Amino acid sequence: MLTTSRRKTIYRLTPYLFVAFPLLIYLIWVIGPMLYTFYLSLTDWDGISDMNFIRLDNYRRLFRDRIFFTAFFNNIKWIVSFITVPIVCGLVLAMILNRSVPGAKVFKAIFFFPMVLSFVVMGLIWSWMYQPDNGIINSVLRLIGLGVLAQGWLSEPDLVIWSIIFVGIWRQVGYVMLLYLAGLQSVNTDLVDASKVDGANGWQSFGHVIFPQLAPITVVVVVISIIDSLRAFDLVYVMTRGGPFNSSQVLASFMYNEAFWNYRMGYGASISVILFMISLLFIFMYLIRIFRTESRA
Amino acid sequence: MTGKKIWGMTIAIIVLFALGVYAGGQKAPAEGPAEKQILIYNSNWSDAKYRIADETVVEMFQAENPNVKVIHSIIADEDFKAAIRAYLQASPPPDVLTWYAGNRMRFFVSKNLILDISDVFEQEGWKDDMPPGFVALSTLDEKQYFVPTNWYWWAVYYKKSIFQKLGLEPPKTWDEFMEVCATIKGDGISPLTIGTKWRWTTGAWMDYLNMRVNGPEFHISLCDGEESYADTQVKKVFNDVWAPMLEKEYFIPDAPAYTWQEAINLMVTGKAAMYLMGQFLETAWPEEMKDDLDFFQFPIIDPSVPIGEDAPTDGLFVPAGTANPELAKKFLAFSGSVKGQEVWVKQLGRMATHKGVDSSLYTPEQRKGNELINKADFIAQFYDRDTTPPMADKGMDAFMEFWANPDDANEILGRLDEQRKDLFDKN
Amino acid sequence: MVKSRYFRSPARVILFAIIFFFALIWLVPVLASLVTSIRTYDDLLINGFFAVPRKIVFTNFKEAWILGKINIYLVNSFRITMPALVLMLFFSSLTAYALARFEFKGNRLIYLIYVGGMLLPFQVLLLPVFRLNGALGIYNTHIGLIAFHTAFQLGFCTFVLRNYMLTVPSGILEAARIDGCSEFRIYGQIMLPLTLPAMAALGTLEFTWIFNDYLWAIVLLRTSELFPVNAGLAVLQGQWRMDWSVIVAGALLAAIPTILVFIFLQRYFIEGLTLGSNK
Repeated sequence: MLTTSRRKTIYRLTPYLFVAFPLLIYLIWVIGPMLYTFYLSLTDWDGISDMNFIRLDNYRRLFRDRIFFTAFFNNIKWIVSFITVPIVCGLVLAMILNRSVPGAKVFKAIFFFPMVLSFVVMGLIWSWMYQPDNGIINSVLRLIGLGVLAQGWLSEPDLVIWSIIFVGIWRQVGYVMLLYLAGLQSVNTDLVDASKVDGANGWQSFGHVIFPQLAPITVVVVVISIIDSLRAFDLVYVMTRGGPFNSSQVLASFMYNEAFWNYRMGYGASISVILFMISLLFIFMYLIRIFRTESRA
Repeated sequence: MTGKKIWGMTIAIIVLFALGVYAGGQKAPAEGPAEKQILIYNSNWSDAKYRIADETVVEMFQAENPNVKVIHSIIADEDFKAAIRAYLQASPPPDVLTWYAGNRMRFFVSKNLILDISDVFEQEGWKDDMPPGFVALSTLDEKQYFVPTNWYWWAVYYKKSIFQKLGLEPPKTWDEFMEVCATIKGDGISPLTIGTKWRWTTGAWMDYLNMRVNGPEFHISLCDGEESYADTQVKKVFNDVWAPMLEKEYFIPDAPAYTWQEAINLMVTGKAAMYLMGQFLETAWPEEMKDDLDFFQFPIIDPSVPIGEDAPTDGLFVPAGTANPELAKKFLAFSGSVKGQEVWVKQLGRMATHKGVDSSLYTPEQRKGNELINKADFIAQFYDRDTTPPMADKGMDAFMEFWANPDDANEILGRLDEQRKDLFDKN
Repeated sequence: MVKSRYFRSPARVILFAIIFFFALIWLVPVLASLVTSIRTYDDLLINGFFAVPRKIVFTNFKEAWILGKINIYLVNSFRITMPALVLMLFFSSLTAYALARFEFKGNRLIYLIYVGGMLLPFQVLLLPVFRLNGALGIYNTHIGLIAFHTAFQLGFCTFVLRNYMLTVPSGILEAARIDGCSEFRIYGQIMLPLTLPAMAALGTLEFTWIFNDYLWAIVLLRTSELFPVNAGLAVLQGQWRMDWSVIVAGALLAAIPTILVFIFLQRYFIEGLTLGSNK
């Protein structure tokens, strides 16, 4: 049998053994490259020529760049939309479909389907739906007499980003619903029943019993929503490439454009760094909350 | 769940995993049978018909050289453009790559990334067999780097039935063109369709209007960053020629909502009459309406100005770091030869760069296109191939902004010129 | 009968009607895809994108499958996704267990590193990782892609699993410890089974992400024969002409594995249900 002191050493070493290898992989393929990108943002590299160290020039140029600010605010719009609509809808759907609704499985599949279809195709189909002339949306609006609302959904600069965000939401709701469904499994139904016995109505038992138990999942969902908003790229890329003239640009697509289309890798790297800093801001807020609640526990 | 079930699942997963690793661990099929030489060829001919033509050329080459195996990868064009720098820096890089003439090629040459293939030109006698314009496109500092394999023309395509109905003839001068537009507009049809979602279609209008008003030399100078976008000559193009067209609504509304291809729908359904477009429009046009399509040269605005036309040329080059220079050059020689080029002519209606290609192979239409370009005093490659990528990006953004706000031309051009100075270091 | 039991109250009926209505709306783009995939290119161009098909063809599927090589790409997607999935779930659960159950120096720091990396806009890593894989000799191989996906997803997976593991009452684990179980056994036989619902949900999400990955495939792979399904689909997007119906048909074919996975894992959730209540 192991002696207690040996046992203790093993116990102390164990966590390190557990984390060592995964951490190594992570450092090599994620953290290392990330640091390299920080470095890259201080150069004027174009992917081929020599790298010249130009210090903060990229950042100076960035803050004079109109597109940067457009992209930044578009991301903000995306974040605000994503942490409200999909969460509410996803939660509602999860709550409803958690009971034995006839055809629940089918409904779940339907709402989840958008996640499954290639974004290339989704971008294509939605672009067709948005077409001012033949598109389904405008056609239906005209059919029911609301033709005045028909717009150039993807051609009007002020409207474009919202049209794209809408597709993102359409896609995200199924996602969020899935996460909440998973979370609802771990909700203690005894407590809910107990609260009902105590005379709580639906809303009260939801607000006081169910929702708090969903807190960890909600945190995850909010974090995912914010990540996805900041990462938003594929829909923008497929539907408009950030156009018309950059009105629907988001930071990630702006970065891709500069780095891979205009071959301004250094400049693109600086945009990534900014994007990362913004993400970091949110994560700090979240971590501070968590550490506080955990130290209280 | 019982412990047994857990282990059962784990084992199942591990088995799947092992299979995956075994299968996934296989490298790219780059090792053929030992005797065969390998040629790695990456191309961006991803359209269905073009791909077939590309594969035909490869097949023919392999038939002539049975000891060679060509590993042929076709990559979507957008991804290809983004990945090409990665290809060029891989070790080893692919042996042959498709690409475009013009600034795009010159850039890589200046970075010593492309193999000098002047010897292939000598050997094949291309300096005599190819029109000087094409040799010039492939040359930098007296050396050749690029094999032009085919080209196509740009023109104003029109729907014959609409012209017939309104009793119109293809216009030759600008005034005639404006009259045609007015007549068509009067009939409730949009004179011109265009899909500007991906922006580049506006570049065509920039090219032609600028070349017709100010001459091709000025235009190329502008693309090279030597002229100012805020120059009065440029402003004249925007304010006096382009803006009036937009204000008179000669283009379809909501152009940015359509890709170039989707805009064809409006022409097909008779809601628009004309489209300034490259010859590849014909491959995207519906089969059953083939006879309703014809084209004419972009009208002349100022007869005293030399005629410039867009005739983008596609071809191949060899990365400087290739592992098989001799084999790669052989492939290039084949692709540029009469046999190789005939594939493009026959299957796609493209134009060959080799004079030796039998002109009887050309359809009447191809001959018409050929004539059009032969009449030109100067051949341009298209805005986004004649200027640097970042400049093209900013330029096209500016054209799009102008499209939405034709009154702000001067301001937009002013800003664009600031960017030009920045990008070309002309501060 | 379930039906009659469910529709007890008018509120329930209304609720069902609302869900039904929304489901229909949700389906519109999907139905549009299905219809587009059985139309011809000329039909789409002449009659518009939402018209009733003049001709119904199934050749698009065949074309996508063979000419478009979807069959090869699908296999590639599996070859890449399965190992990556197993590896990332394994590694991240190991780490999550340590982070959730042990107090040790560096616990917070390591958690921070994973969380930070999770929020990284992945485009940031494109070039460095490309060069890294080249230097390691795994450029243009599936292993290179697997390695990257595994590493990159560790951030998110560790984050989710660690939070989930924190909710597992420590009582059971303590009991096992006292009983003399090795940590690894506790991890394998107690913690893992308890985290199965989270891993299943995580697995589904990760599967869809990696299976449908596009950007990394085209950066880290050069030979189109190795492409996973979305990158392969993109090849169908021509330089000039986009063969709409073939691409949509290809995309539908490509979606089948993910749908199947989802259907399978739905059952898993139910198993997880009973698991969770047998504390």
